[in-house]
Amino acid sequence: MTVQTKAKGKIIVVDGNEAAAKGVALARPDVVAVYPITPQSSLVEALSAMIATGELDAELMNVEGEHSVLSALQGAALAGARTYTATSGPGLAFMFEPYIRQPGLRLPMVASLVTRDTLTPQCVWGGHQDAMLVRECGWIHMYCETVQEILDTVIMGYKVAEHPEIMLPVNVNHDGNYLSFGVTSCELPDQAMVDDFLGPKSINWHAALDPERPMSVDPLTGNAGGAGPSMFVRYRKGQTDAMARSLQVICDVHADWAKRTGRAHAPLVEEYRLDDAEIALVTLGSMTGAAKDCCDALRDAGKRVGIIKVKTYRPFPVQAMARALSKVKAVGVVDRSVSYGWNSGPMHHDVLAAMAKSGFVKPCVSFIGGLAGADMTQSHFERAFDIVAKGDVPPGPIWMNEKD
Amino acid sequence: MSAYNSLTYNASLCIGCGECMMACAKAKTGSADDLSQSRIKIVVAEEGKYEAALCRQCGDAKCVMNCPSGALTKNQANGLIDWNADTCVNCLLCTVGCVYGGITFEASVGHVAKCDTCGGDPACVKVCKSGALGYVTTAAIYNDYGKEEDLFAPGLAACQGCNSELMIRHVLRKVGKNVVVAAPPGCIPGMGTVGYNGKAGAKVPIFHPLLTNTASMLAGLKRTYERQGREVTALALAGDGGASDVGFQSLSGAAERGERILFICFDNEGYMNTGMQASSATSFGSWTSTTPVGDKLQGKRTDAKNMPMVMMMHNAAYVATASSVYMEDFYEKLDKALEASKKGFAYLHLYAPCPSGWRFPAGLTIDICRLMVESNFVTLWDYEPDRGLVFTHPTDKPKPLESYLKAIGKYRHLAQEQVDRIKKLLEDRLAMLKRFAR
Repeated sequence: MTVQTKAKGKIIVVDGNEAAAKGVALARPDVVAVYPITPQSSLVEALSAMIATGELDAELMNVEGEHSVLSALQGAALAGARTYTATSGPGLAFMFEPYIRQPGLRLPMVASLVTRDTLTPQCVWGGHQDAMLVRECGWIHMYCETVQEILDTVIMGYKVAEHPEIMLPVNVNHDGNYLSFGVTSCELPDQAMVDDFLGPKSINWHAALDPERPMSVDPLTGNAGGAGPSMFVRYRKGQTDAMARSLQVICDVHADWAKRTGRAHAPLVEEYRLDDAEIALVTLGSMTGAAKDCCDALRDAGKRVGIIKVKTYRPFPVQAMARALSKVKAVGVVDRSVSYGWNSGPMHHDVLAAMAKSGFVKPCVSFIGGLAGADMTQSHFERAFDIVAKGDVPPGPIWMNEKD
Repeated sequence: MSAYNSLTYNASLCIGCGECMMACAKAKTGSADDLSQSRIKIVVAEEGKYEAALCRQCGDAKCVMNCPSGALTKNQANGLIDWNADTCVNCLLCTVGCVYGGITFEASVGHVAKCDTCGGDPACVKVCKSGALGYVTTAAIYNDYGKEEDLFAPGLAACQGCNSELMIRHVLRKVGKNVVVAAPPGCIPGMGTVGYNGKAGAKVPIFHPLLTNTASMLAGLKRTYERQGREVTALALAGDGGASDVGFQSLSGAAERGERILFICFDNEGYMNTGMQASSATSFGSWTSTTPVGDKLQGKRTDAKNMPMVMMMHNAAYVATASSVYMEDFYEKLDKALEASKKGFAYLHLYAPCPSGWRFPAGLTIDICRLMVESNFVTLWDYEPDRGLVFTHPTDKPKPLESYLKAIGKYRHLAQEQVDRIKKLLEDRLAMLKRFAR
């Protein structure tokens, strides 16, 4: 359903997967490769339908698995194509081999991770475990809080990925179930505006498989002697430098988008009612909505609480996080996934490390909730605020849904 | 360019009668009296055995390279080394260069003399009763493709006796420069085709796909060029491991979708680049480093997956098997495969015996290739969906399988029952193939 309003774009009513598809279509990819997996399937179904009707002029590749999905897109990008796909959980695991290669090839693209908890136990519902397991692969990871933010961030993702100083793949992550199937109204940006925002694309100026520019792509590099070791280091260092540079580019791109659309999504870290807060919860993704409602209710009751929402998780925005943390006395970090090696949530030690790197340490409690689609309600966050307020830091994580 | 003609000499047939020398001397001087005037010299190698000193009309002739005055040139039209009396300075450096004694100083005329094949009707051949001398047409394919640029860098480091390097050079000569080459991990990039540390091994776009994703990565690339309206050949030079094992899913998917790709599988029956481990294409009974021979295990326990038959069942636009022994056949199939790859998936399966991994002397590769076909261990055929299967080198009276197995070290341990099983398998497979033949 489409309603014309005074807003710059049309108002549409869509779920998160459709919103992502709409954003992708506005970014005009050349090649879209698809393979279905819950809870992502309706996203690539929507894209396939748009290509079938001609609404989106792109090459649709119905390949035989996620491994080939990303492989085909790498080949396409090396021929100059703007590319897109989406996946979840086991699909991401199967995609892992080409996935870890993409950043090293410096091939820009946007791929949606419609996040899902991992096996086993067998489950098909939301959770961040899949995306967390690939957080050290060199992709930029941005997590969305709302359906509108999904649509906007997919488009912004291309601008970040294809920035000549960055040239890295971007995962735009949205939560399986809550966001993928949650229906709401959102504004569809104008195509001409998006075209102008993204500008001309240049995907393979640095590495191409093109008879008109013959070159060897990815010859063996490394080993213990000759030119190898320092050459390999230059590749790796170039990659990590680009990751570091991307923080500024992400900020610039969000600012540009805000200017054009009036929608100012926090690019790295959002501080919500934080300025006079004593304690805060660090959140990621769709849980932030309930956390903010809880925060508002507690504020109404006179409690000085705030929320620190992480949008850009990789590279980790250490300075922005430290700036936010400096305003509070204690913090709780709410993860929708676990770190087996640290007996906490993975973002919990990102926050600890950000504090250490910034020269201060504050009480920091690890909360783990929302695994495999479990509810994260206002009352869950209220309990979390209570625990943080007490000032004790238990040795292990608090399992928020353990007694649901 | 037409094929060259050339004199041949088979020493084992020569009886040393000297008729050829007399005929040559007569043809060149009008008299058979002075045999030193002959441009072919039959000399005694040992008792009852002879050798010929004769111009071989070399492709990269040392006499031409040594000549400081340009008097000696390779005639591109007929392949002969021409001598020009007007520019010769009589330095005799050419005679030093030639190891065949094919150009020598003739005192009676005061300059060098060499065979000119009597303008295409050599007198010596006409008088040779033993059949030692012949006049033959060289392979047309050499002349057709020998002039094409070798698009791989010189100095690739394949093992001694490996014919895969030879074959990839032939493939690119035929395919040309408008190509993107995918060389998944294995012997082909291992010999340096993709390059090392920033240096390229080929003069065309080439890359390392993953061992697992050759076909899908090429498919994405090809679709993008199709979308851009550009015709670019997408070519895979893969091994049997990357085709039949971990790369099989992407290969099968690309074939099912009819992606416009030419996929060439170099079948050396295993992971030879990494130390001769078994793949699913390894033949039954083979010793490999992961199917060793001992008291409990006697080589590979299962039959080879027959990849070309599997690809035929994908209804690919073209499927063929080929061997480097039958080059005309190979080139014909390469031609058809290239053409087919413009409209669908083309798969070429090349048998590539591996001296290092199979344990046979490096000098025997071509013999093994030939024996492989002549013993019906493999069968050469091609297939198109609307035409069916055609045997391109039928072997009605095959050489004994044992002669093939005994020539190769990896079968040395085979017990009779293992040999019997291979025989049965080969019979069954041939019978199955025949049912697909038109």
